[in-house]
Amino acid sequence: MFALDVAAHTGRWRSRHPAEKALLALGLLVCAVSLPPWPGAALSGAVAAVLLVGPARVSPAVVLRAARVPLLFVATSTVPLLVTMPAPARLSVDPAGPALAAQTAGRSVAALACLLLFSATTPLSDVLPRLHRLGIPPAVTEVAALTYRMLFLLMDSARAVREAQAARLGFRTWHTAYRSLAGQAGAVFVRAFHRARRLEEGVALRGYTGSLAVQVEALRVSPSFVASTVGLLVTIVAATVLVRAAS
Amino acid sequence: MHIAEGYLPPVQAAAWFAVSAPFVVHGSRALVRQVRQDPETKLLLGAAGAFTFVLSALKIPSVTGSCSHPTGTGLGAVLFRPPVMSVLGGIVLLFQAVLLAHGGLSTLGANVFSMAVVGPWVAYGLYALIRRAGGGLDVAVFAAAALGDLATYCVTSAQLALAFPDPSTGFAGALAKFGGIFAVTQLPLAVSEGLLSVLVIRLLTRTSGDDLRRLGVLSRPTDEVRA
Repeated sequence: MFALDVAAHTGRWRSRHPAEKALLALGLLVCAVSLPPWPGAALSGAVAAVLLVGPARVSPAVVLRAARVPLLFVATSTVPLLVTMPAPARLSVDPAGPALAAQTAGRSVAALACLLLFSATTPLSDVLPRLHRLGIPPAVTEVAALTYRMLFLLMDSARAVREAQAARLGFRTWHTAYRSLAGQAGAVFVRAFHRARRLEEGVALRGYTGSLAVQVEALRVSPSFVASTVGLLVTIVAATVLVRAAS
Repeated sequence: MHIAEGYLPPVQAAAWFAVSAPFVVHGSRALVRQVRQDPETKLLLGAAGAFTFVLSALKIPSVTGSCSHPTGTGLGAVLFRPPVMSVLGGIVLLFQAVLLAHGGLSTLGANVFSMAVVGPWVAYGLYALIRRAGGGLDVAVFAAAALGDLATYCVTSAQLALAFPDPSTGFAGALAKFGGIFAVTQLPLAVSEGLLSVLVIRLLTRTSGDDLRRLGVLSRPTDEVRA
């Protein structure tokens, strides 16, 4: 349903422990955001992109499709950095603008590659049951896990309703489009609450005590993967420091 | 309007996490308390989170000819109240970052503050004010959804202006620049979201009156008669 989630569930790194992938992707993300854009962010982003389409074997088409919306935001919000406003309603080109815009956009694109490395290799269903180990209350992680499971059903419902409405010319005019959208939202609301009630009845019949325990696949953390990740992150930091010292 | 991954400088990104944290912690405590008193609420909250996610994924026709997505914060705050929305909104924003790459993990604090804290509180404050003043459900829901969306957009513009102040006029100039560039899509979207939310509430009043009563949205008999 979501291309990144499908890639994460069917990808080559599916059986790796989520902590390994989090260390790699989020470590690179921290480097991309906190090191100087050149060369720290550029190196982190390039490494993430290579790992994504190389060892993790995620399709470049999936990566590019997922990157479209955030890249549109980056492009739009970079425009104000190119100009300055010396007086109200007066704009002029800022001589320092292109450098700031390039740094900001570069850092954001690099960080996006790191986020995609995590998203396209780590299913949320592997992450959510383990989040309580980070100190997040189990009630919150269980609500998040329920939300995750229900949203696929509801997205399917919304899509089915939309297709039925489109087949009945429900999006012919603005007036009909708004009425159809309200119908979609209404149908999703009714189904969400109906499903919640059925779940309530189902778990009550099974002696529900307040805990929604699910079986979590036991995965081993690979020491070699962790060591390689730490080595990679240290190399990126060292290369950045060396290049900055030389320039 | 999600701030993309890595767009904010690291110090600012960390500061927005610190600013959002008390609201999310307060919401989490309220949620844990609610779940302890009534364990079945967990299932209802899961459904509410999934509904909020799907609501924000609906495609509203835009004046530019393309499509925009509603924030869903206004309607969500009216239905589920702001403290719960700060947690549900945080979960939805995390899912949007990981499943769709909309927003990001480093900018999650800033996006939570604009979309899961300020938007819902402004929306619910207006809704409660209009209802207490005797206003109708339609007017209250329209104001909550439209102005909740506008508040989100204003806060995002302010966050970007704080991160990138204008070299000549500082924060004010940057706010005008970012606000101006996003106004093209966000102002019509706010009106669209307001209208859509009214249609949704009217529909739900007819089809799911019991659920709306359970959530405390419907209390006056006249609400149902009007719808």
